[in-house]
Amino acid sequence: MSSSLNLPSRITFTGLMWLISAVFSLSATVAFADTANGDDKAVRYVSGESGIKIPRTQAAGPVGEWWTPAGDRANSRYSELDAINTDNVSRLEMVDTFSTGIPRGHEGQPLMVDNTLYVVTPFPNNLLAFELNKSGFKLKWKFEPHPDPMAVGKACCDVVNRGAAYVDGKIIYATLDAHLVAVDAEKGHLLWDTKLGEVDKGETITMAPLVVRDKVLVGNSGGELGVRGWLKAVDVNTGKLLWTGYNTGSDKETLMNGPEFKPFYAKDQGKNLGSKTWPGNQWQLGGSTVWGWLSYDPEQDLVYYGTGNPGVWNPDIREGANKWSLSVIARDPDTGQAHWANQLVPHDAWDYDEIMENIVLDMRWKGEQRKVLVHPGRTGFVYVLDRLTGELLSAEKFIKHANWATGYNLETGLPDVVEAKRTHEGETTFDICPSSTGGKEVFPSAVSPRTGLLYIPAHNFCMDYTGMEANYIAGTPYLGADVKMYPGPGKYRGHLIGWDIAAEKEKWRVNEKYPLQGGVLATAGNVVFYGTTDRWFKAIDARNGDVLWKQRLSSGIVGNPMTFTGKDGRQYVAIYAGIGGWVGANAFEAISADDPTAALGTTGAAADLKKVTAPGSDFYVFAIPET
Amino acid sequence: MLSVRHLILFSLAVPVLAGISQLQADPAQSPESMLGLPADENPLGPQPGADHPLDTPENPYAMEEKIVRDGRRLFVDFNCYGCHGGRAGGGMGPSLRDAEWLYGHEDADIFASIAEGRPHGMPAWGTKLPAPQIWKLTTYIKSLNTDLEPSPPPANPSYPNPPPRRDIPGVTAGGGDQ
Repeated sequence: MSSSLNLPSRITFTGLMWLISAVFSLSATVAFADTANGDDKAVRYVSGESGIKIPRTQAAGPVGEWWTPAGDRANSRYSELDAINTDNVSRLEMVDTFSTGIPRGHEGQPLMVDNTLYVVTPFPNNLLAFELNKSGFKLKWKFEPHPDPMAVGKACCDVVNRGAAYVDGKIIYATLDAHLVAVDAEKGHLLWDTKLGEVDKGETITMAPLVVRDKVLVGNSGGELGVRGWLKAVDVNTGKLLWTGYNTGSDKETLMNGPEFKPFYAKDQGKNLGSKTWPGNQWQLGGSTVWGWLSYDPEQDLVYYGTGNPGVWNPDIREGANKWSLSVIARDPDTGQAHWANQLVPHDAWDYDEIMENIVLDMRWKGEQRKVLVHPGRTGFVYVLDRLTGELLSAEKFIKHANWATGYNLETGLPDVVEAKRTHEGETTFDICPSSTGGKEVFPSAVSPRTGLLYIPAHNFCMDYTGMEANYIAGTPYLGADVKMYPGPGKYRGHLIGWDIAAEKEKWRVNEKYPLQGGVLATAGNVVFYGTTDRWFKAIDARNGDVLWKQRLSSGIVGNPMTFTGKDGRQYVAIYAGIGGWVGANAFEAISADDPTAALGTTGAAADLKKVTAPGSDFYVFAIPET
Repeated sequence: MLSVRHLILFSLAVPVLAGISQLQADPAQSPESMLGLPADENPLGPQPGADHPLDTPENPYAMEEKIVRDGRRLFVDFNCYGCHGGRAGGGMGPSLRDAEWLYGHEDADIFASIAEGRPHGMPAWGTKLPAPQIWKLTTYIKSLNTDLEPSPPPANPSYPNPPPRRDIPGVTAGGGDQ
């Protein structure tokens, strides 16, 4: 006994942590495998001083790993790790960096499973597996799916990928040519490959899938090419397609024909609204795609997602509410049957995709305990919905100068639209705020149950929008709009907003000169991480937004930070640096700065990104040095 | 060095050429004799595409105001602007108004890119559009970022002074300030 005490204490501690880590990950994996159909039963709540609770199950992985795109299926992007905290984050240092070799937009985030990091690259969507050891990363293997290169010219907004999901020894992710692949997590070989869409008609997939029990769920991109949006479920073990829920069309095809479908508002009730709220067969070209984030509530056993813009940007071509574009939809993951749907904006006239994250929280709401979804919208509003019914509990502006609507009527669930800002064919509507890229883009926010704050990566663009005639030619853009965006009012095009969810208002903001186009991570150490398009990776105090640490990286950041515990027991933070995406692509030389209507109108607001960043492809990991 | 390489090529070429003539004489000749076909005396082209002039008729249109306007209308009607940008500054597809020509700047090169398509998503429009319309599009594309460009882009508030970009032999540079 005395001899073991003579050992240097750090070695003993590290050895112990390795043992604990190994035993814990082994037992977690075994438990998961044993309960392949029952992993959602054991719900635990991650909570903090604010009283907000995040439901989490084993599907999120053990504490210190990262198995799902958002760290959990609630989409919280909140880590319980606190070894990096407000006291020591200023000592953060780079551990290692690695180039994927593909200088396009690196959206999304890696996964961390059993001391292995999994990185999905932009097209051609290679999957890299890294082991993290004392000397940094070691590339274990690389999987190359070789997607159809035609997909490059069908993707509206750079050739991005938003990440993978882990389940039961498999890494599952989508390739740009609308396939879903499962790869053996240990050996790196293909397990199955399922074609889900028609890339020559404009269907691509950029989103990260979500796993519920033995099903993996994913949706399509292509709302700018007149495709028809859907969510599909595929068998985790075989890759077989199990069900398709369309977002336009008859109730039979939208899977809204069961007795369980009970929309809360009159506006969303009725038969076949997915086809009747469109002229003729326009619903077949109706967009309403699914390219953002899926979330899951294990207690209700429901999957939630938001839908994109209605097909053809020119609203005059598609009279009617155009359901189910710009909607939040709840579905049964086993059958796809919808339980409720709430169209946040009928008859979109601004290309406001509402594919944003729906964060699953239990919280006190006006004196009552409620089960909610928090949805920071492209429209510039933070929406809070009752996730049992779809009732809108709150819709408050986080973009103060959002001027397409004055507010929402919570009795009807409808926005009070400013008709002067509604766009039409043959005329230019000036000074619409926010622009089509939204008050925030697809880049996800994070929530902290310690502070009760939602951390929104916002950007500040407005636009002039001219509706035009549109011809549908399969596989080409179907827009009917000439859009020019430009910087919104004030000196800043980016804001990291600390939003008090219960108080329905902003608490503080960090201003950024350039538009924020990356996701956010919140941690139990009261540190919030995010990246900027002008290459800063920042750590701020979760309570007040004070900048505690920042580091310049090689390229603009459009990825989402994530965190994990290494084999050595230390906490690490990882981020991609590779500018791209819709706004970020303005850093590319292939987009000319002298055409403000280029890149679907974003060049007018972001061409100067060329001056502060160039394409990159780097992956970074940071930690606090061992003392 | 060059002379040695030529010598090797020449020595390889003689027996193989003989092989070809045998092949023509005897259709049953085994394919092995075709290995190592003689190198073409002409170097391969520096850019993708044919290494000799394409058998394409000349652009029948001069760069006249009516023609470039027609080309602009076709550029919008056939959704080219969705990929290449409202004033062809790029997006899903590359900019057509910058100084870079991925597949050559001659009228015939531009015609071929539109008619035959290009990798990474450019459709082959030759199956849908008659040749005169493709020539009008070609003429419009050559007018971009010159004094002859119809509907030039408005000023860019986020990039007030973009560098001059267009410098094509035979096409007037500058413009865009109408």
